[in-house]
Amino acid sequence: MSRDTDTVLTAYVVESQTTITLGHLCRSCGVHAEWVQQLVAEGVLEPAAAGERERWAFSADSVPRVHTALRLQRDLGLNVSGVALALELMDEIRTLRRQLDAHQER
Amino acid sequence: MAGHFDSTETGVEYKDYYKTLGVSRDVSADEIKRAYRRLARKYHPDVSKEPDAADKFRAANEAYEVLKDPEKRAAYDRIDPDEARASGARGGGFQPPPDWDRGFEFHGGGYTGGDSADFSDFFESLFGRGFAGGPGAAAGGPRQRGGMRGRDHVARVEIDLEDAFTGATRDLTLNAPDTDAQGRVTHRERTLRVRIPKGVRAGQQLRLSGQGMPGMAGGEAGDLYLEIAFRAHPHFRVDGADLILDLPVAPWEAALGATVKAPTPAGPVDLRIPPNSNGGRRLRLKGRGLPGATPGDLYAVLRITLPPADDEAARALYERMADELAFNPRARLGV
Repeated sequence: MSRDTDTVLTAYVVESQTTITLGHLCRSCGVHAEWVQQLVAEGVLEPAAAGERERWAFSADSVPRVHTALRLQRDLGLNVSGVALALELMDEIRTLRRQLDAHQER
Repeated sequence: MAGHFDSTETGVEYKDYYKTLGVSRDVSADEIKRAYRRLARKYHPDVSKEPDAADKFRAANEAYEVLKDPEKRAAYDRIDPDEARASGARGGGFQPPPDWDRGFEFHGGGYTGGDSADFSDFFESLFGRGFAGGPGAAAGGPRQRGGMRGRDHVARVEIDLEDAFTGATRDLTLNAPDTDAQGRVTHRERTLRVRIPKGVRAGQQLRLSGQGMPGMAGGEAGDLYLEIAFRAHPHFRVDGADLILDLPVAPWEAALGATVKAPTPAGPVDLRIPPNSNGGRRLRLKGRGLPGATPGDLYAVLRITLPPADDEAARALYERMADELAFNPRARLGV
């Protein structure tokens, strides 16, 4: 395990209005643009600005989602539709957990 | 990593990859794949809630890396488990037999997936170290002038509600699931000292510039994304930017109205309870939730708490209420 606690790193909240380009998203995850295009076609990702693929922009907070999609595909052998289904179910579980937690008495 | 045998001084211990996958030694390649997939679904760090999921997932990956490949599997099968265990028990640690890999071409490093940091010493003693897990040119990200930018890392961290409320500098230990150049999951544990911005909310992401994978050929490093979750708090529940507090009140405080102390993350405040409040009533403390451009609210939910009727005086008071108040709490149920 590496410790790197000599310097204090400043963290910035990723605002959902901030957008990144298709190229940036591909470099972030090391994937082809075609693969991101498949995620868009399955409804996993929604381009913030639609239109020509070259001009696509995505919300900056979609980076972890694409990373998760990539892991699910590679580790579990899912196709893109399977990835889409898994992500939707994971979102739903997260929402339900949050609601459960907000309503449980302490 | 789940080892079945005691570690020796030299640290290398025999690993029973069949046992890791829960299959017998004579199963087909299809069976091995099925067993691996089952374990991967169960222990995948994105999906699993089990505390040691990451370790189990790593162990399954290592086992599958060997057993899915007919050549590696055949070479591995040549090692006599009993002999390997015995040599481990003698204190020398596991040493592969000198000619165990004769006739195979994989020796001297190189395997199809995984990160050398991720596999055990046992694996390395057999198959050598993998290629250094740099950012994958093979994955085909567009090239940039002046080298290629490193990939971003994503990790989940839990912080205390108070840290989000006031902002704080904290040491965060990350166990980041990540993909390496060959696209396999790797894990890296790092501790970073991070200034957490005030008002961050669960489900939001923090970005740490340049803390991802190093770039290639002079390219800049990627970023680190931290997905924020809150540790369970003993008093407050969190709903977006709002906080919810169960506030115990005495029956007479609820009935007659009262001003009581209520905790908030910024310290106790006085809360006015209107007369004739019932249990479950939500009182809003505007702007006392998580701070931000639109600060959240704090909701105090009244929980009427009865004094125990365990002495004469208390019992007498309850009896007087029973006698003098014409009250049927079940009137709405029609009984």
